[in-house]
Amino acid sequence: MCWAVPAKVIGVDSDVIATVDLGGNTLKKVAVGVDNLNKGDYVMVHAGVIIAKLSKEEVIENIKFIADQIRETAELEGENPDEAVKSFMESVSGILKDLESEK
Amino acid sequence: MDLPKQIELLFRENTPLASKLADEIAKLAPKVTEKTGLDKIKIMNFCGSHEWTTTHYGLRALMPKEVELIPGPGCPVCVTPSSDIENVIKLAMDGYRVYTFGDVFKLPTVNHYKKDQIGSLAAAKAEGADVRIVYSFADAIEDAKRDNKPSVFFGVGFETTIPSYAVLFAKEKVPKNLLFYSATKLTAPAAEYAVKIHKASKRTPVSGVIGPGHVSTIIGAISWDFFPKEYKIPAVVTGFEPIDVLTGVLTILKDLYTGDITYTNLEYKRVVKPEGNVYAQEEIREVFNVVDAIWRGIGIIPKSGMDFNEKFSNYNARLQLGLEEKPWDYDLPPGCKCNEVTLGTAYPNECPLFMKACTPARPWGPCMVSMEGACAVWARFGSSQRVLEALKEVK
Repeated sequence: MCWAVPAKVIGVDSDVIATVDLGGNTLKKVAVGVDNLNKGDYVMVHAGVIIAKLSKEEVIENIKFIADQIRETAELEGENPDEAVKSFMESVSGILKDLESEK
Repeated sequence: MDLPKQIELLFRENTPLASKLADEIAKLAPKVTEKTGLDKIKIMNFCGSHEWTTTHYGLRALMPKEVELIPGPGCPVCVTPSSDIENVIKLAMDGYRVYTFGDVFKLPTVNHYKKDQIGSLAAAKAEGADVRIVYSFADAIEDAKRDNKPSVFFGVGFETTIPSYAVLFAKEKVPKNLLFYSATKLTAPAAEYAVKIHKASKRTPVSGVIGPGHVSTIIGAISWDFFPKEYKIPAVVTGFEPIDVLTGVLTILKDLYTGDITYTNLEYKRVVKPEGNVYAQEEIREVFNVVDAIWRGIGIIPKSGMDFNEKFSNYNARLQLGLEEKPWDYDLPPGCKCNEVTLGTAYPNECPLFMKACTPARPWGPCMVSMEGACAVWARFGSSQRVLEALKEVK
């Protein structure tokens, strides 16, 4: 019961209820569990309530966290950290470019 | 391409990155055991969805021999006491309309209602009771308003689900004919309890914890700081895709190797904030108090549940309908090891009933019912081969 799914806000019906698209045009009325919700926001929906908003910037921050872990591990293992991060960035470059171009 | 699809490609379907992370884990793990003197690096998760990801994607098969991934108390359906289900069945048989989520519907009781005939809400419905499965509390409210019948919502869930109840009560959207039976639970006290059990026994202690991403969305990553600060156990809050969990394992190994164990690492930055969802926290505080709670097969864990405060006591089904708490020590059916599976002291396949008397089609114990119960996950996705095959293609 902890599985949340990403969705797009189609409309904010009231201070408590919003309509979201769960994908494939599956529309659902859900409770609003976050403040400052707007039409067009990407959100995480869990058991009929919006528990968080989702942004491109935060996804990019997530990627940076993984890069940091790979860099620090390479340092511990006596490997070249720049090479390790370069290899990581290659594996995510396509998607990262896509994300950044839409900012 | 929309954002959810981009996330899926990056965190779920990025096999080269998964391969890279698995290689880093394999290189670092022996160094960690050598430095710490531990035989095994035991890493516990506290969310059924993490167990789902770990098993479904075969992540255990990617772990070196030094790393063991174990499930902990991460399924709210599995730990709902039999006495609560029995109480709600009685209400259904007495003529109340009962609303609940689908994975609660088949939960088995120990004491059956009516001469041992009715041992689940599903059985009560088959006997003619008005039991309705809903997608959300909001849907139950709509239904209860429309028909205006005496109704009860069986409220199960962790911190992720509790806001769905709290916001609607706080904003006074719940009709008077809909009472609420709270069987909600809090994750962190149970996680601490499970880790203490391992520490106090002769078992390998838990060396690292993977914090639940969506629970932490509400309570905040800092809620797990007690593990690094008080127990010197690295904690990392991760998301639910394979890359998230693999990054979490790598982060824990790195922290153990450096000994820099001071705060909870936050991997799931795209959804979780260190302070959590402050708005939802305020709504929850408006409606509920923290109370001691019974965990099925385990007993009372102090301050691990939520029930209404005085202001909302008119909705409290237990209080308004005079339902008593029953003893919990009979809480599991004979032979069932769900309590040990919940605490991570036994794997599902160590239970003698697993896939024999207890199967997804005919669950005997609660951990086989919900898709987030460790037994149900293992029963469906026990094989790790598909990931190994995918990685072979990359290499």
